[in-house]
Amino acid sequence: MVNATLAPEPTERAAPDTSAAVGIRVRARHRRRQAVVAYLFLAPTLLFYAVFLVLPLGFAVLLSTSRWAGFDLGDIHPVGLDNFAGLFADGSTFLAPILTNTLLFALGTLVLALAGSVLVATCIDKLRFQGLWRTLYFLPIVTTVVAVGNVWKYMYQPGGLVNGVLNAVGLGSVAFLQDPDTALPSVVVVQAWASVGSAILVLTAGLKSIPESYYEAAALDGAGPGTVFWRITLPLLRPSLLFVCVTQFLTGLQSFALIIVMTKGGPGDATNVAALEMYRQAFSYGDWGAASAAAFVLFAVVLAVTLVQLWLFRRKGEDA
Amino acid sequence: MTPSPSRSLSRRHFALALPAALLATGCAAPHRGTGRPGDPVVLTLLSHYASGELKKALQGPVDEWNALHDRVKVQTKAVEFTDLLTTFMVRQAAGQGTDILHPYCLWNGQLVRAGVLRPAPPEHAEEIGRGYGTAAVGSASVEGRVYGYPTEMQTYALYYNRRLLREAGVEGPPRTWRELEDTAYRTLRRDRYGNTLVQGFGLSTFDDSTTVGQTLALLSAAGGRFVSADGRSTAIDSPAGRAVLDLERRLVDKGASAPGVNVYQAFASGQVAMVISAGWWTANLKALMGTAYREVGVAPVPLPEADGRRATLSTGFMLGVNTASRHPREAWEFLRWLNSEKVRGATRMSAVQASVGSLTGRADDMRTLLGAGGDPNLHPFLDALAYAVPEPNTPGAQQAKSLLRKNIEALWTGQQSVDEALRSTRRQVDQEVSRSW
Repeated sequence: MVNATLAPEPTERAAPDTSAAVGIRVRARHRRRQAVVAYLFLAPTLLFYAVFLVLPLGFAVLLSTSRWAGFDLGDIHPVGLDNFAGLFADGSTFLAPILTNTLLFALGTLVLALAGSVLVATCIDKLRFQGLWRTLYFLPIVTTVVAVGNVWKYMYQPGGLVNGVLNAVGLGSVAFLQDPDTALPSVVVVQAWASVGSAILVLTAGLKSIPESYYEAAALDGAGPGTVFWRITLPLLRPSLLFVCVTQFLTGLQSFALIIVMTKGGPGDATNVAALEMYRQAFSYGDWGAASAAAFVLFAVVLAVTLVQLWLFRRKGEDA
Repeated sequence: MTPSPSRSLSRRHFALALPAALLATGCAAPHRGTGRPGDPVVLTLLSHYASGELKKALQGPVDEWNALHDRVKVQTKAVEFTDLLTTFMVRQAAGQGTDILHPYCLWNGQLVRAGVLRPAPPEHAEEIGRGYGTAAVGSASVEGRVYGYPTEMQTYALYYNRRLLREAGVEGPPRTWRELEDTAYRTLRRDRYGNTLVQGFGLSTFDDSTTVGQTLALLSAAGGRFVSADGRSTAIDSPAGRAVLDLERRLVDKGASAPGVNVYQAFASGQVAMVISAGWWTANLKALMGTAYREVGVAPVPLPEADGRRATLSTGFMLGVNTASRHPREAWEFLRWLNSEKVRGATRMSAVQASVGSLTGRADDMRTLLGAGGDPNLHPFLDALAYAVPEPNTPGAQQAKSLLRKNIEALWTGQQSVDEALRSTRRQVDQEVSRSW
């Protein structure tokens, strides 16, 4: 009886419940459809990343723990961590001099390019025809590396322009690219020269964003040019400097085109860098496992260096 | 909520478009022929004969074959030599490997290990063994098995500038290492700042091949070898190896050699008296030097002692058939026609090589072709085919060569002593050639 009395009640309450449930289901279906449409729109981008980033990355991970000659995809043999062990084995040249050269090359390029670009950008900021000067300094960026490398190579030759200048002031010739002690610094100078244009572009933009009122206040307080540069310009340029530091250093760690053109990594291993060694291991020697392992070691170095740079700048209150 | 007609239409379109796109992509794949009646087999040949003269030279006989044969056609593809190995790799991995490959013999071990090269059928292997010199057959073989028809063969000899030797009071080219050193020191000239005006003996650091080639030519002349006969260990750490590195180090230390200067330009400009290089260079020198080429002479690589047995280095290319080729029989038949069948006393390949100033490993062909007023400077290279030692081509040979180059350069630039260079080369190369693949 109780059941019979109470029986219609659920039915009466069920009506709004049912319509609510239907509403929820419709909304859910609608959301699902929206999600499908959203994924369809995203599909080209996701596919692009899958094909050009995730897939190669996964393949590189596989290769770094395998032995593969580069010809037959069915001929990949797992070797565990042997490739990594080989890089750091006794007698291997990867750690020294190759990785050391890579860091010296990147650091040297960064220091020279940064110092040069800060100096030039500050000067340009005070000159007329700033666009013209920026364009002139940017020209090496739009010049092919092969041309830059070959021109500098001829300038460094024993009878070349640089030695000609040294001879003209009574100094003896220097075998810049043939002497293992001078080869790496000589290439670093060219890389810095070639990359200074982009740094100047970023820094001049940074200089423009510094409010003029700071300089006016400093002038009223009687601050000299040195004080203004160290206390106002440089601190306020920090975001631009951070960007230049990170990008230049990363570029330096991964560059090898200029080295191939100028020295091919020689004499001996004096200018050999990690990216060049990876290229040779893979494409010349057919050892894709060693090349991929070297790539991951370089990736770890790049990541560590970038994190250190970010940490250093963030301590000073700057975001990347 | 009913799906809108337009959405269902687009889904249908998508469902139709996807297979259509895949089909279109498939249809766009290169046509390779099926061999069915009316549809000729198309063999593809990948070489480094990409420049005008070389490309034209190879295209001649290929056109002739295509005109004579209806059922099997040949299509040539070419890339620069520097891209050749990479192209082999990429095409093979992508399932687009050509039927016929034209590799540098140094890579043969690597290509055989990777299963790219098909061994020559017995009748072709026999024909190759019969028709070519020992060095050529050795270059085209891996562990005693022949993998293709040798094509371009290079032997190493001594180039010298007659005028510079004459001006230094030297009568003729050196025959022994003592004479080589003496001539190098006598022809050396410097300005007051120490810049070298004329190098006595050029040591190239241009690339692996030139740097290592000259050293291995001297090593062969001294009776030594780079790697052991079985290819599993290095053999350069020997009295012969030590003698070669000592000689090179002395020449550098005394200023007769200035490694780093582009020897190939400097010799042509009359700034180098002597260089050890391969035969291909004669054609380049003729083009570069014009009438001054008449001052260029070529002599066999000097020996440590006058009564020693002649030897030098030989390198080369060969034409082989891809394991992935669907028409290996036709490919081998084409190669036999190109490399073995004689027309006017020489094979078509020999005629191709002679036309660009190069040699094949068929000494009889080359004598026929060069006999009628060819460049006399090519004869020492031709003679050397009889006594040259082929470049090692074991798996890992390319890396071994690069490692040797690095150590040679380290020696020349004073980073290593002769002992250190030999030890370091032995350790590094042994590690590489003994790897189990």
